[in-house]
Amino acid sequence: MKKKFLYTLAICAGLSGIAKAQKPEQILAAVGTPANPKVTVSWNRYYDYGGITEICKKLAAAHPNLVKLESMGKSFQGKDLWVMTISDLKQGNPDKKPAMYIDGNIHSNEIQGSEFALYTAWYLVEMFNQGNPAVKSLLQEKTFYIAPTINPDARDHFFHQGNTAHSPRTGLIPIDNDRDGLINEDGFDDLDKDGHITMMRRKNPNGRYIVDPTDNRRMIMVAPGQKGEYELLGSEGIDNDGDGLVNEDGDGAYDPNRDWAWGWQPNYIQGGAYKYPFSLPESRAVVDFVMKKPNIAAAQSYHNNGGMILRGPGSPEDLDTYNSQDVRVYDALGKKGEELLPGYRYLVVYKDLYSAFGGELDWFYGGRGVYTFSNELWTSFTMYSKPDGPDSQSKLYSFDKDLLMQDAFVDWKTYNHPTYGEIEIGGFKKTYTRLHPGFLLESDAHRNMAFSVYHAYNTPKLSVSELSVKPLAGGFTEVTAVVNNERLIPTHSSQDVKHKIEVPDVISLTGGQVVAGMIVQNRDLGITEEQKSDPANIKVDNIPGYGFVTVRWIVKGNVKKFTVNVTSKKGGEATYSN
Amino acid sequence: MKKHYLFSLFFLMLCGQGFSQNQLDYSSEAVLNQRVKNLSQKYPQWIKSSVLTQTQGGKNIWLLKIGIGDDTKKPAIAVVGGVEGKHLLGVELAIGFAEQLLAKPSDSVQNLLQKHSYYVFPNMSPDATEQYFAKLKYERNGNANASDYDRDGKVNEDGFDDLDGNGKITMMRISDPTGTYKLNPDDSRSLILADAGKGEKGLFKLMMEGIDNDKDGQFNEDGEGGIQFNKNNTYNYKPFGPGSGDYPVSEKENRALLDFLFDAFNVYAVVSFGPMNNLSNPLNFNPAGVAKRIISGWYEQDVKANSLVSERYNKILKVKDAPRVQADAGDFSQWAYFHYGRYSFSTPGWWVPKVAPDTAKRERALQNEDPVVSYLRWAASQGITNTYTPWKKVNHPDFPDQVVEVGGIDPFVLQNPPYKMVPELVHKHTQFLETLAQMAPSINFVNVKTEKLSDGLTRISLDVLNEGDLPTYTKVGDRSYFLKKINVKLQLNNNQEVLSGRRMQNLESIPGKGASKLTWLVKGSGKIKIEASSPTTGSKSIELSL
Repeated sequence: MKKKFLYTLAICAGLSGIAKAQKPEQILAAVGTPANPKVTVSWNRYYDYGGITEICKKLAAAHPNLVKLESMGKSFQGKDLWVMTISDLKQGNPDKKPAMYIDGNIHSNEIQGSEFALYTAWYLVEMFNQGNPAVKSLLQEKTFYIAPTINPDARDHFFHQGNTAHSPRTGLIPIDNDRDGLINEDGFDDLDKDGHITMMRRKNPNGRYIVDPTDNRRMIMVAPGQKGEYELLGSEGIDNDGDGLVNEDGDGAYDPNRDWAWGWQPNYIQGGAYKYPFSLPESRAVVDFVMKKPNIAAAQSYHNNGGMILRGPGSPEDLDTYNSQDVRVYDALGKKGEELLPGYRYLVVYKDLYSAFGGELDWFYGGRGVYTFSNELWTSFTMYSKPDGPDSQSKLYSFDKDLLMQDAFVDWKTYNHPTYGEIEIGGFKKTYTRLHPGFLLESDAHRNMAFSVYHAYNTPKLSVSELSVKPLAGGFTEVTAVVNNERLIPTHSSQDVKHKIEVPDVISLTGGQVVAGMIVQNRDLGITEEQKSDPANIKVDNIPGYGFVTVRWIVKGNVKKFTVNVTSKKGGEATYSN
Repeated sequence: MKKHYLFSLFFLMLCGQGFSQNQLDYSSEAVLNQRVKNLSQKYPQWIKSSVLTQTQGGKNIWLLKIGIGDDTKKPAIAVVGGVEGKHLLGVELAIGFAEQLLAKPSDSVQNLLQKHSYYVFPNMSPDATEQYFAKLKYERNGNANASDYDRDGKVNEDGFDDLDGNGKITMMRISDPTGTYKLNPDDSRSLILADAGKGEKGLFKLMMEGIDNDKDGQFNEDGEGGIQFNKNNTYNYKPFGPGSGDYPVSEKENRALLDFLFDAFNVYAVVSFGPMNNLSNPLNFNPAGVAKRIISGWYEQDVKANSLVSERYNKILKVKDAPRVQADAGDFSQWAYFHYGRYSFSTPGWWVPKVAPDTAKRERALQNEDPVVSYLRWAASQGITNTYTPWKKVNHPDFPDQVVEVGGIDPFVLQNPPYKMVPELVHKHTQFLETLAQMAPSINFVNVKTEKLSDGLTRISLDVLNEGDLPTYTKVGDRSYFLKKINVKLQLNNNQEVLSGRRMQNLESIPGKGASKLTWLVKGSGKIKIEASSPTTGSKSIELSL
């Protein structure tokens, strides 16, 4: 098996070498990009589940010291939910380093999150491999858990079946959307069999639409008093079940991003919710994985679209959860994101987007105390590097003409519909309006990767910056240690501290017999709080970002040499001996 | 204890079905397993038992499907026991209902099950109920999941300790000038809070029997006993609390039950035997409770249904003075209404009855609200004498210089009556569950009219009447896709065509005794069939000639 795999790999590598006529000696590296990667991936197209699986396996095979590939569990249809552990596996236990979790594609039509996540994995390991010092030290200190798709069933549905740019958003557990007792009995129908569900229009003297005189592909509504020529009949489809409604109960139809256990509400309050938090096998697999990785201190979940760097709360009811201390950390990260991602804005879900209960980012923060963003990838700003004007619709048509060679539109063609008679079918492809055109995909993937790197870099880094020893009268020694956090993110967000989500950090002294231990609240004024039980191991609720804590022990006898160990679930470990 | 257990097991094998009448104490896991087995063997035509899941502690979560033919095609009630592990009576009421129902004359059982199904879950907290039968008896609600109640990184490190060695955990009082408790003037065997506002002085600290095993200053805060079934559901869930877990429905038993129920579209009502009581004390309508998008009260029409059902319950039970109870966060019976969208009725089934003062003993009316004293007075009236342990001094390592005494009433006695009272309670609750089934939604076609407008053109009109007392589904379930609408279909032959009206349509909820009017204009001749069906109402069809 393994031999065969390597053999295939060799062939592939060889073939790509021949086909592309690119030998290392023919290449001049462009800055910031791994010019001669072990695994070659074209970052200007999209990959289905099989394609993603192959890229993950190739990365793991080519970089065994940097990538560990495992399955978090199975999707509803039994596909493995891949997650890559990316870290310098030779230096320290990756599950003990401060970590960032990244996933994509929770909404099945929002596919480019997978390519962005994959790009991040690929970029980090290939840059490491080419000896980039910044990436090397990053992977020495940190771990990335990268799950390219957490909705593989419906991802493949999007790829291989007739869909619009907005479908399917769901996973593929069958749901009776119209509550008639039948399941998935009336979805879209790809009438022209081109893989895209576009629009249906019909000539009608009473219609309110005409063809746009400036672009004959576009339908525009006529002004009051003007006569129209067409009526629009919605997305391609027929009334499959004969109930007088078209496309009212298609595949699935719930929202995997309403299945998370923070402020969760049932579907009569929060449309899209399923039975209870983590009642979907995919989010269940993620939560089981995350609960076993207490070192996750940062998270990103890729969506599309609109160019947003989103944080919670998802609903105004949850406003109090995000307190000012944590918001300051979010703000610092989010503002940096705005610089790195032109056209993207740092926003808050409930007030800038919409109100939603049970979202993934709210659970990561509310339920695990992890600073989490959801980036809404792709913004029409990117088309002409300009904000939208008053007619953002017409920009879609001109951009397609100017830069995409009109590849984004399915031209209107006549069709004989069983209910509507002679109609025409046409419109934008499912791969346009929410997904990146090929030539912009790699560039935006890179920028988002850079934002994640910044986020992960800012997870805690602990060090013991001072260890002072002072003999006391009466045969005792006073030992004072200062433990620093050199980065922005605290070891415990204030949400974490408030609910004791994660156990406290422990600062331990070895080298002498400890008789008392205390947290020093104000060193100058001598204000301390004693820890009565187990004084050698002092528990601190938090080591703040760009901050420090001071602890003190009273040790029996006159001792001079000590070792201080710090362990923190989200902050990693530090040790110092004098 | 063990002897007793073996004895009941022996009895059981000997008497087979007569067993429940001969049982002397609440059901351990083994006894419940046997009772389920007996039922399935005796009434295979009516009952199918299966293990929904096994708990972390390896104990069975039973599902008993009671029905004939396709049980999913008839309206159903879910009956849930063991909502709290300390409430052993709930288990008896649930399994006892199944036994007493099926033991009725076969005709009446057959008639009932033609139209109605039941799903019985006798014990949702089997890890916890087993504590009643353990060497150390204490009230326990948590399952066997090793959980960290005080979130200090250590698990089960500070449980109760049997300081007086009597095999049960009672109370412990410490004489202490900073204590907040005083002796209850009504009955000095019990303690109540001193009212500092009235200048009263506390003399005791009062807590459960135990020591501070992990020396963290807290007593008994993290013992054996994990997540509680009745704190782990989604409605009003509070994470990170003792017994509630890190997120809702984290436990196998909660998940298994919810998974089953969400797929059981025919369930229109859930009856739980647990702490909440909207059967003795029906809910009141509070407009503020439904004014926000996250509702916290029942809708008015659902409150009306609750009143009607409660009235029938009280008529059967004939017991007053049920204590008013505040629902726990994550509670199951609230979930069944607010998140499952079904009628949810709950009762503890029994509570300590209020007893008038015994003038012969020169008792006076009680001045202070104190369930312990109420219990002691009632117990005395019943001749129950062995459930109180007098306060006795013990040596306590955490209070070496203080007087520490252990005593008080036994665990379990406030929620669970002496077992000899159980069969009568089962009988009454069986009667209630039968009565509730009679109130189930049920549809019929009435005022059926065919008018010939002309040859080959007929107008059909009819009312779909809900003959039941309860609506076809709840108001809260109106917008939930886990409740099905009534689907009305016309079956046409080849020469028939619907000119007006819909060949297929879905009806919203029809109130109890209410109706929905339908009309069609049909071209053609011959027979036409109209069918209406939904899981909570069953189906009805008629054939008309055009």
